[in-house]
Amino acid sequence: MLLDARRLAAAAPGFHGRRRAGQGEAFWQYRDHRPEDGARLVDWRRSARGDRYYVREREREAAQTAWFWIDPSPGFDWSSDPKRTTKLRRARTIALALAVLLTRGGERVGALGSPPRTGPRGPDRLALDFLTPARDDAPPKSCVIFLSDFYEPIETWRTRVSAAASAGATGALVMIADPAEEDFPFQGRTLFREPGSQREALIGRAEHARADYAERLETHRRDVHELGAKFSFPSLLHRTDHAAGPTLALLIALISERFA
Amino acid sequence: MTFGPFLFGAPWALAALAALPLLWWLMRATPPPPQRAQFPPTRLLMGLHTDEQSRERAPWWLVLFRALAAALMIIAFARPSLAPTAAAQAQGGRTLIVIDDGWTSAPNWSEVRTAAAATIAQPERSGAPIFLLTTAPTVPARDPGEALTAGDAKSRIARLEPKPWRPDRAGAARRLAQTQARFDHIVWISDGLDDPGARALEQVLQQRGPVTVRIPAHTARAIVSGAVTPQGVEARVRRAPNGEAFAAIAAETADGRALGAAEIRFGPTEFTTGGRIQLPPEIAARAARVRIVGEQSAGAVRLLPAGSGRPFVGLIDPGGAGQPLVSDLYYADRALQPYASLQRGGVGELIDARAQALILPDASLISPLDRAALARWIDAGGLLIRFAGPRLANNNDDLLPVRLRPGSRALGSALAWETPLAVAPFPADSPFSGINPPADVRIHQQVLAEPASIEQAHVWATLSDHSPLVTARQRGHGLIVLFHVGAGPDWSDLPLSGLFVEMLRRTLAFTARDAGAGERAISGGPYVAQRVLDGFGALAPPPPDLQAIAPERFALAQPSPAMPPGLYERAGVSAAIDAARNDETLTPLALPPGMTRAGLDAHIERPLAGWFFGAAALMLAFDLFIALFLLGRLPRLARASAAALLLAGAIFAPDVRAQTRDDPTLVIRLAYVRTGDARVDRTSASGLEALTQVLVNRTSVEPGPPIGVDLTRDNLAAYPFLYWAAPSSPQRLSDTALANLDHYLAIGGLLLVDTRDAGRTANAGGRPAQLMLAGVDVPPLALVNSEHVVARAFYLMRSFPGRYASPRLWAETASAASARDGVASLFVGDGDWASAWAGEGGVDDRQREMSLRFGVNMVMVALTGNYKSDQVHVQTLLERLGEQSR
Repeated sequence: MLLDARRLAAAAPGFHGRRRAGQGEAFWQYRDHRPEDGARLVDWRRSARGDRYYVREREREAAQTAWFWIDPSPGFDWSSDPKRTTKLRRARTIALALAVLLTRGGERVGALGSPPRTGPRGPDRLALDFLTPARDDAPPKSCVIFLSDFYEPIETWRTRVSAAASAGATGALVMIADPAEEDFPFQGRTLFREPGSQREALIGRAEHARADYAERLETHRRDVHELGAKFSFPSLLHRTDHAAGPTLALLIALISERFA
Repeated sequence: MTFGPFLFGAPWALAALAALPLLWWLMRATPPPPQRAQFPPTRLLMGLHTDEQSRERAPWWLVLFRALAAALMIIAFARPSLAPTAAAQAQGGRTLIVIDDGWTSAPNWSEVRTAAAATIAQPERSGAPIFLLTTAPTVPARDPGEALTAGDAKSRIARLEPKPWRPDRAGAARRLAQTQARFDHIVWISDGLDDPGARALEQVLQQRGPVTVRIPAHTARAIVSGAVTPQGVEARVRRAPNGEAFAAIAAETADGRALGAAEIRFGPTEFTTGGRIQLPPEIAARAARVRIVGEQSAGAVRLLPAGSGRPFVGLIDPGGAGQPLVSDLYYADRALQPYASLQRGGVGELIDARAQALILPDASLISPLDRAALARWIDAGGLLIRFAGPRLANNNDDLLPVRLRPGSRALGSALAWETPLAVAPFPADSPFSGINPPADVRIHQQVLAEPASIEQAHVWATLSDHSPLVTARQRGHGLIVLFHVGAGPDWSDLPLSGLFVEMLRRTLAFTARDAGAGERAISGGPYVAQRVLDGFGALAPPPPDLQAIAPERFALAQPSPAMPPGLYERAGVSAAIDAARNDETLTPLALPPGMTRAGLDAHIERPLAGWFFGAAALMLAFDLFIALFLLGRLPRLARASAAALLLAGAIFAPDVRAQTRDDPTLVIRLAYVRTGDARVDRTSASGLEALTQVLVNRTSVEPGPPIGVDLTRDNLAAYPFLYWAAPSSPQRLSDTALANLDHYLAIGGLLLVDTRDAGRTANAGGRPAQLMLAGVDVPPLALVNSEHVVARAFYLMRSFPGRYASPRLWAETASAASARDGVASLFVGDGDWASAWAGEGGVDDRQREMSLRFGVNMVMVALTGNYKSDQVHVQTLLERLGEQSR
C-alpha cells in the first residue's frame, strides 16, 4: 500500500515551499542590511566578500499539519468484486500518497487521534497510525481531509464537519465509491444488507429500483457537496475502478493553497 | 380400482389430489427466496419500493408447473397401470389358469407368458389364490394341486417352457375332475388347435366356473414330411385355417448351417402344401433337418435322420487279408471316409445293420443265401455299387445292370493293339455331369457289356471309345451301379484319382433315404436317444433319465415325455421321432357356447408408476433451473442450457475417455517418472523421444511415443523401462507411490534412477538418490563395469557417458536379483542421460552418440534381460569345451 502510495506520489505534481522569508532552516536569499536589523543579523561571511552588508534570510517555515480522517465503518472496507480494491484501501493509498508529497515539502501529516508525523519516515508511521482508532475532533486551524463514502446520514456529517470547521479547520471531503454503488447492477429479487450492520432492504425487482436509487444517491451527494462548500471543505468523488492519480492531483489542487 | 383404461393399485393415494389447491395457494403465497447481496449504501435503499415487494409472487405458470409435477407424483403413488380390457375381466377371486404348453404354443410363447402374467395381476391385487394347470406336463402331474400365491405362480410361469409334444388335454381334464375345486375365474391360454381331448377339458372347465379362452391370432404350423430326393430337399407343411399362409423352409446341416431355402405359399383354402429346396445331390445329402424359418417350435422341424447327412455304407468284405494298398476295398474306403459312415462285413451282417448302400468289389464268393438277401434288399430300395474284377469277368450273375461278356478287355498290354484309354466327358443326363474327367486317368482293363443289354441300363460314364465305364439300372426300388473296372489300381488309374472320389460321392446321393431298405426283422438292441428336440425346435442332449426305446415300439412311437422327439440311434443307424407326425391334424379349436373367447395379445397390463415418477422427477429437475433463472443466478439462458447439457452428459455419457485411451500394453513405450519439476520432466520427455527415434532407426525395438507416468496413480506394469531423473528438489515418495514402485521392481521392470549430479556427490547413495528412494526396498548395488551385461547388450561400451563424460552407474547385484535370473531391475547413476539424449546441456556429437548407445543398451537390458550375458562368458565356455574334448 505504501509502495502504491509512493508510486502514486512520484507521478503527482509536488508541493513547493512557501517561497517567503521566514523562520526556517533552508536558505532563502540574501538581502541588503537595513538599519533596523541590527548587527546580529549581518551575515558576515557574505558581507566580507563585498563592501555592502548582507543579511541571510531563511525561508519561512510555518509547518502545517494535514490530518486524515478515514471512515472506520465496515461498509467502507468493502468491494463489490473480490478482485477490485476496497474503498478503504484506496482511501489509505490516496492519503499516504498525499502524505508522501506533504512530508517531502516539510509539512507534517497525521491521522486524527495520533500524533503528527514528519520527515521521510512520516508516511510509514502514518500507515501504522491508520490502524489505530481515529477520533473526530480536529486540532484548531489545521487541514483535515475526510476520506469516506459519506453514506452516513447527512446530519452526522453536518455535526462532524461543523465541529471541525468551528475549530478553524478546513480541508477536503474525498468521496470514495465502488462502481457497484454507482451503477447498481443488481437484478431480480434481492435482499440488500449493509456490511457490519443489521440493516436490510428487500427489493422485489432490483432492476426497477435502479433509477430511484440513482436519484437518492445523487441527492445525498449533492447534500454532502453543499455541506462541504458551506464549511469550506471542497468535496470530490473518486471511483475505485478508476485510477487514483487524477483524484490525487485534484486533491492537491484543492488543498495546495492551504500549504502555499 | 379402474378408471377408464387405467387401473390403480393404491387408489387412496389419489385422495391427496384434493390437497392440490392448498398447495397451489401455498406456492402462490410463497415467493421464491431472494438472492442476497452486501451493499454498503443499503441505507439509501431503505423504504424503497415496498409496493413492488408485496406484488412479488411466484409466476402463475411456475405454480402450474409445480402443481402438475405434484399431481403426477400423487398419481404415481397410486400405482397406476394401463390395462385396456381390465374392466371387462376385472374379476378377483379364485383363479384357475390353464396353459397349453405343447409345441403348438411355442411360436406364441412370449405372448402366452405375458397373458398368464397379466391374468395373475388381478388376483395378485386382491390376494386371491391362483391355480395353475398345464396340459402337456413332462412328469405325471398333480396340478392344479394347491393354491399358489401370486409370486409363486409368477415364478412357475417364468420357468414354464413349451414341451416338444402336443398337449394332453384329456389327461388334464382327468386331473381337474379329480378335484372338487370351483373357481371364480378360469383363463385357458390355449394353442388354438383342436384335438380329441379338447371336448373333455372344455366340459370339465365349464363345470368349474366361467371360462375365458385366449387364442393366438396365428396358430402353429408343422412340417408333416421331409425327404431328401435327387433334386434336393422336399418338405410338406401343414397349417390350420388361421395359420399364416406364407412360410419359408430351410434345409440345415447337422451343425445348423443353412444349405438352402424355399418359399411356400398356401392357397386360401389350402392347408397342406409342399415345397422343394433345390440342391445338388451331394449337398442335399448333407441336409440333416428342414425347418420352417422363423417359427420356433418342435413341430416346425423335421429331422432327416439318414445318418445326419452321412449315409451308412457297407463295404462287403470278400474275406482274406489282402495287403492294404492292393486290396480293392482300401480305395473305396479311403474315398468315402469323409462323406459316409463305413462298415465292413458280410452281406447279411451289413443288411441287418441297415446299410443304405453296399459296395461290392469283384466278388463271386457271395453265397446263394447272401445273394438272395442282397436281391431283396435292393428291391426294397438299397443301393448296390459293384466293381469289376477277374472273378466277375468270368462269373456273370443277375445283380448287374448289364449282361457282361465273358472275359475282360485289356488295353495297352503287350499283346493288345489298343492303347490305354481316357475317360470321356460325362453325358449331360449322367449324375456325373459337371465333373471334368482329368486327361491323365487311363483305363488299362475293363469288362465289356453285351451291346444288347446296354439298352436297358443307364450309361453314366464311357471311355473315349464309347465303351461303357459306369452303368446303372433300377431294380425294384433300388439301384445297381457297376463300375466296369476294378476297385483297385491294377485295372485303371481311376481309384488313384480324385475323379473316383467325386464319382462315388455322386453315386451315394442315390442312397435310399428310407430305412425301409433291407427290411428285416431285427432282433435285439433298443433305440437310444442321441439328441432330443425341445419345444422350440432346438436340439439338445437328452435328459439323463430317458429310457431307451425297444425297436418294436419305436416304429409306432408318438411324441410323449417317455419318447421325446429327436434323433435316436441303434447299431450305428440313426432314426428320428418327429414332433409332428405325418398325419398331424391341425384344426382350429372348437369352443362350446358359454366360453368367452379372447385374443392372446390384448390383455397386457402396463404398470405406469415408473413413467409418472420419471416425468415428475424430470419436471422437478427442470424446476430447479427455472428457480435459479428466476433468482437471476442464471443470467443467460445459454448458461442454463450448457448446465443442462452438462448434467445430461454426466448422466448419460459413460467415461468415454477410458475407452478411447490407447491401451499401453499394445505397444512398448518408454516411460519416465513425472517428478513435478517441469524442466526436468521436459528434458526426460525429449530425451526419451530421441532415444525412441534411435531405437526405431537402429534396432528391431519400435517403441511408441514416450510417456510420463505418475508413480502414485499409474499402473507401471505396462512399461518395461522407466527413467527417473532427480528433480531439482527431490521429495520423499508417498506410501502408494512406494508400494507401486516396489511392485514394479518386483515384477521385473527396469528403473533407471538418474541423480544428474556426476562429480558433485561423493558416493553412490548421494543425497538425491537417498531421498528419492527413501522407503523403496533398495537391493544391494554394485558399480557397473565393462563386464556387465549393460555394457554389451547391443553396443560394446566401456563407459556410459551422459551429459557428464564419465558418470558412474550402479546396478543391482546379480546375487540380489537371483529371483529374476540375475537381471538387475534397479540402476542408479548420475550421468544426466536424458539431457544428453535430447542434445541439451552442450554435449558434443560424439558424446551424445555414446550416451544414446548407452540408452539403447539400457532398453535392450530391459527387454531381453541377461540374454547377452551368456555371450559374456562364451570365451570361458569355449575353453571348457576344448578341455573336455581333449
